Amino acid sequence: MVVGEITQERNLIIIGGGPGGYSAAIRGAQLGLSVTLIEQAEMGGVCLNKGCIPSKIFTHAAAKRSETVHVQNLGIGSGDDKFTVSKLLSYKKQVIDGLRTGVEALCKQNKIEVIRGKASFLGVDRIGVENGHQFDIFEFKQAIIATGSYSVMPSYVTEKGKRILLSDEIFELEEIPQHLIVKGQDTIALEVASSFAALGAKVSILTNHKASLPFDESITKELNRLFKRRKIKMYKASGFTSIIETDEGVTLTFLTDKNLEETIQASHLFVSGTRKPNFESLGISRFGIEQTDAGFVDVDKNMQTSIPSIYAIGDVTEGPMLAVKAIKQGKVAVESIVGENPEVDLTFLPIVAHTIPPIVSVGLTEQNARVLGLDVRISQFNLGGNGYATITGKKDGFIKVLSNSTNEIVEGIHMIGEGAIEMSASFVQLLEMAAKEEDIKFPLYAHPGFNEGLLEAVEGLIGQAIHAVPVKKKDLLPI
Amino acid sequence: MLEVKLHDIGEGMTEGEVIQYLVKVGDSVITDQPLVEVGTDKMVAELSSPCSGRVKEISIEPGEIIQVGTTLIYLEADSDVKTEKKPLIEAKQDTKKEIVTPSEQVKKSSATIFHRVLAAPYTRKIARDNNINLEDVRATDPSGRVTEEDVYRFLQGQQTREQTVIDIQQVAVIQEISDEIPFRGIRKKIAEKMTKSLFTIPHVTHFDEINMTNLFKIRQELKLSGESVSVPAFLIKALVISLKDFPIFNAELDEENSRILLKKNYHIGIATNTESGLIVPVIHDVDKKSIKEINKDVKELTERAIAGKLQPFEMKNSTFTVSNVGPLGSTGATPIINYPETALIAFHKTKKRPIVNEQDEIVIGHIMTLSMAFDHRVADGATAVAFTNRFASLIEQPHKLIMEMI
Repeated sequence: MVVGEITQERNLIIIGGGPGGYSAAIRGAQLGLSVTLIEQAEMGGVCLNKGCIPSKIFTHAAAKRSETVHVQNLGIGSGDDKFTVSKLLSYKKQVIDGLRTGVEALCKQNKIEVIRGKASFLGVDRIGVENGHQFDIFEFKQAIIATGSYSVMPSYVTEKGKRILLSDEIFELEEIPQHLIVKGQDTIALEVASSFAALGAKVSILTNHKASLPFDESITKELNRLFKRRKIKMYKASGFTSIIETDEGVTLTFLTDKNLEETIQASHLFVSGTRKPNFESLGISRFGIEQTDAGFVDVDKNMQTSIPSIYAIGDVTEGPMLAVKAIKQGKVAVESIVGENPEVDLTFLPIVAHTIPPIVSVGLTEQNARVLGLDVRISQFNLGGNGYATITGKKDGFIKVLSNSTNEIVEGIHMIGEGAIEMSASFVQLLEMAAKEEDIKFPLYAHPGFNEGLLEAVEGLIGQAIHAVPVKKKDLLPI
Repeated sequence: MLEVKLHDIGEGMTEGEVIQYLVKVGDSVITDQPLVEVGTDKMVAELSSPCSGRVKEISIEPGEIIQVGTTLIYLEADSDVKTEKKPLIEAKQDTKKEIVTPSEQVKKSSATIFHRVLAAPYTRKIARDNNINLEDVRATDPSGRVTEEDVYRFLQGQQTREQTVIDIQQVAVIQEISDEIPFRGIRKKIAEKMTKSLFTIPHVTHFDEINMTNLFKIRQELKLSGESVSVPAFLIKALVISLKDFPIFNAELDEENSRILLKKNYHIGIATNTESGLIVPVIHDVDKKSIKEINKDVKELTERAIAGKLQPFEMKNSTFTVSNVGPLGSTGATPIINYPETALIAFHKTKKRPIVNEQDEIVIGHIMTLSMAFDHRVADGATAVAFTNRFASLIEQPHKLIMEMI
């Protein structure tokens, strides 16, 4: 295009070094491709630097602090649960730096070329990378767009100072808010509410009166109960009247679901907000790349866009904006580039919240079964009946199973309770394998352990859980 | 030099026909200027210029069928790198005023749970690698779980079938000279769909007559007041109202999972005759639209269907299809259902006939016949008759339509 330009040739170029991008890069290297990765900020993307990892450092700290009383019962410690935010922040930095170094080392060991700079497409096989005064042009065989998403303030927040926080700011706070209002009902909002309450803040949650939490309805009920016990106040709002932020705090006036005006004063306001796909600055729209109605890059099952040389993965494509999806799509894109025949199927994507206790919801929920008019068996095993839960002082929560009452195939598994995140591996495997009730009842389960809860939940489908109150026959009827 | 290639415009298209070039070699072009018209099996699309510059070479002749990825035009871009890399960030204003964050994930999972594949991931991989749709494989397990063995058995069966087809073809050596029409594109898609529908669904068709006299009167009155609304708009409105009362006809049989899915959306397909064949544009969410809006949609979609300018999403997700053959003539038919839907109605020509009115006088009435084909696996004749009775009552006494307005 420009006379005298030097175009460097590359094989596979990946734009974005988040979990999707770097997984794609490493899988590409494993499959024998020479891979170039372009990153404009830090390796690890939002997930490692501002999202999943920082938030989990806070939820982990909160879970630990909530154990103080129990640990004291075991004769350990003096019950002093003094908490120092600055220490946690330096621990956070240490963890993130460590993980990032790990990712960078992996890229190096896999001989992945990492280029720093801002990428923009110059053609369907050409990309420019700008870094300060330098501008390099690369020609590629294939490119993968893995540029993720950015957080957007909801429209009702017109301006904000330091007391209104988005998900990438709250885990930078140098003090625990005296009173934190959490606005939202997604998993990140619930995690923020749960952990900041455990870390000592007064917390109020404000949810949209029409929206429901993304889990099975029984989990929502249990979570509400546990939040109430922990003095987390829950409000349902149908709209905002005003949000006033001063140097001292935030005053929020809203309409309740009964259309009454109510005002809360707090020191901080957290809004989970929304996220938007981040690809406009790549200039790819000019080359006729197809977009979905919702404004994401349209991809086929191999993550290929309408431009055959260009693939897209992660948050720039439609679907839940989760690292787990990006990682899978990244691998699938590269595998299909080398001619393999992979697939992404998000049917049994586990929905996870690191609350206290943690939550996992996979597959069919009771409310879905009702809407679809499906004939299902439902059983809920309370962890109060699990021996190991008693030992560890984690008796809150349950495991709930739904199965098809004609063919006994398990349709959904949901858990709120200690160990839910790790247990979810069994849940997704059972669902992907199209397991039947017997497939779960037959194996032997480590005793004592939370895992026995899954067995008992399935046994409960026909009223045969050992550690549960016997059910009356009529309760076993399908819904 | 920039290459303009044929890319997949949607629905996994693999080839397209070059219809005509809108530029010639040497022409200066600007970004987004249409360069060439390409016809796919469903639509005609324009490929536009990715940059400004000059047409250097045209490499494919009009009329040729080419594969996706083939280069059509070589462009010499005249913009320099500096302008090319100008970031195109446009701050999009979020216009939503209310705090609406409906739980996207719940919606997602209820949508995806329909498409659950009852097979272990390894079995699914074997099917993928052999290009088999698992839904076509019969499970030996009565609960519908497909095993590795089922896939291999299916694969073997398929191979034997292919073998026989070849044998027959070898025997039937063409002896006569005939005119040839290429069997591909829309024609081939229609053939595939019809075969699948007729071989899968046990069709039943029942006929009925509807007195359109009152509706015609209302139309006439509206026309005099300056509002011209076509008959199909009324028919479609009445249809959706009837579907709400008889949801079984707005449904899809999911045999694999032994369930019938009653659709909550009312997306009505309009079978449309075009020069290249039958196309079914879809009016989405008819239940949320007024007769006036439906009228506008029918008009626009039909025009664009005929012009070959429909977008892929405008031909997707119909839950029930109507075929308005009246304007073409005909008094009856046994139409084929738009698979995987449950039913289809064809509206035939309205004719003047002597009818007996409530005062036992013979008067002139406008009578339309309709043919309704339905899936006998899903519904029975009595229900279908009750359904068309309800429909007929809404058309014969159009004031009833008002009762159903939202």
